[in-house]
Amino acid sequence: MNDTFEDRLLAELKAEMAVRRQARFVPAARRTTGRRFFAAAGVLGVAAATAVAVPMVIGSGTPAYALTQHPDGTINLKIHELRDPDQVEKDLAKMGVTADITYLPLGKQCGNTRVTPVKGDDPSFTPEELASKDPVVEASVRKKMEGTPSYKAIQPKDGITIHPEYIKPGQVAVIEVAENQVKPTGKPGVEWQMRGQLSDGPAKPCQVADQPDAFEVGDATPPPGS
Amino acid sequence: MRLKQKGLADIADDPEAFEVFYRRHFEAVTRFLARRVGDPHTVADLTAEVFLAVLDSAHTYRPGKGSEIAWLYGVTRNTLLAERRRSARELRANSRIAGRRLLQGDDIARLEERIDAESPARRAMDAMAGLPENERALMELVAVDGLSPAEAAAALGIRQGTARVRLHRARRALQKIPGVVPPLVMEGQR
Repeated sequence: MNDTFEDRLLAELKAEMAVRRQARFVPAARRTTGRRFFAAAGVLGVAAATAVAVPMVIGSGTPAYALTQHPDGTINLKIHELRDPDQVEKDLAKMGVTADITYLPLGKQCGNTRVTPVKGDDPSFTPEELASKDPVVEASVRKKMEGTPSYKAIQPKDGITIHPEYIKPGQVAVIEVAENQVKPTGKPGVEWQMRGQLSDGPAKPCQVADQPDAFEVGDATPPPGS
Repeated sequence: MRLKQKGLADIADDPEAFEVFYRRHFEAVTRFLARRVGDPHTVADLTAEVFLAVLDSAHTYRPGKGSEIAWLYGVTRNTLLAERRRSARELRANSRIAGRRLLQGDDIARLEERIDAESPARRAMDAMAGLPENERALMELVAVDGLSPAEAAAALGIRQGTARVRLHRARRALQKIPGVVPPLVMEGQR
């Protein structure tokens, strides 16, 4: 029960403790683990979400993020520091993209279904397909994922690359970014991860939940078919 | 091999021990802050900061060196001083937990009530504003926050003898200010 500020703050502090405990065991470095998070997305039933762990540079004195609009209409978002999601949303709105950005510590995720899935965003996978280690199956899962409007619109390339041409009027780019709060020490680890999905209309508020496997780097091999 | 410290060392690792500590002191911390900050959102931000600082520094607590509350008031005071050095905006931007975002429904009204209830303490602290900094810090902790002189010394990290001398000087100085007499100063005491 999180009825009061006192209760909610306690819950946040315990989450912080959990993150610290986890982080102590898995120091972060720069690796991508696309495969791991495709599987995670399946478990959560958010099959069409683009969820990957991405390297990120955090430094003081740098702006919190950089937004670049390219001549071809794509928008590149590089996040240097996890703060000010509201401003990112405002800046994206100026570029014509309605976005809903959430920052979380790594180990946390939005546990609820927040989006109203858009048409074409429902590739069907069996749990076996999602869990499969067979390169052929993995490649086919990946190909299906990449064919969804969400993946086309919000791509985990060069930070986050947004393709407004795949976002129809009324649709919202829902992006969740989770950062590992322990700085890299040279060992493999997850630096941060991103989930992106389009929603028909506004997204529901994020209900923060644990994501215990967020710190697992898998075997750090590139996803098949890439 | 290090021997296991008794005391607060475990609360940063043990969620249940932390919850007990948090529930025991949450109100005292918000009251301490409400005596010094007039805005509920800032009180919420700072409360989050204080307990994050507790997680960071629980290992510095030594039971022999004063009570838990004295240690916690020391942490709270340092957090508040750090906040005054930085701008509030900077504090929010760098904080791992934005306290004000957790405020919902009646929370703001409850914090405002708490701030109102502490207004005599704020008047008392205004009356002490003219004291030298080191005497004022001590006098606040004793007369307004209700610590014993020994606890206040522990909270500030000074020796008890030094604390007694400073308190004595502070009381004499306060008595010389017309309209400010110890009873007013003592109003915030529990």
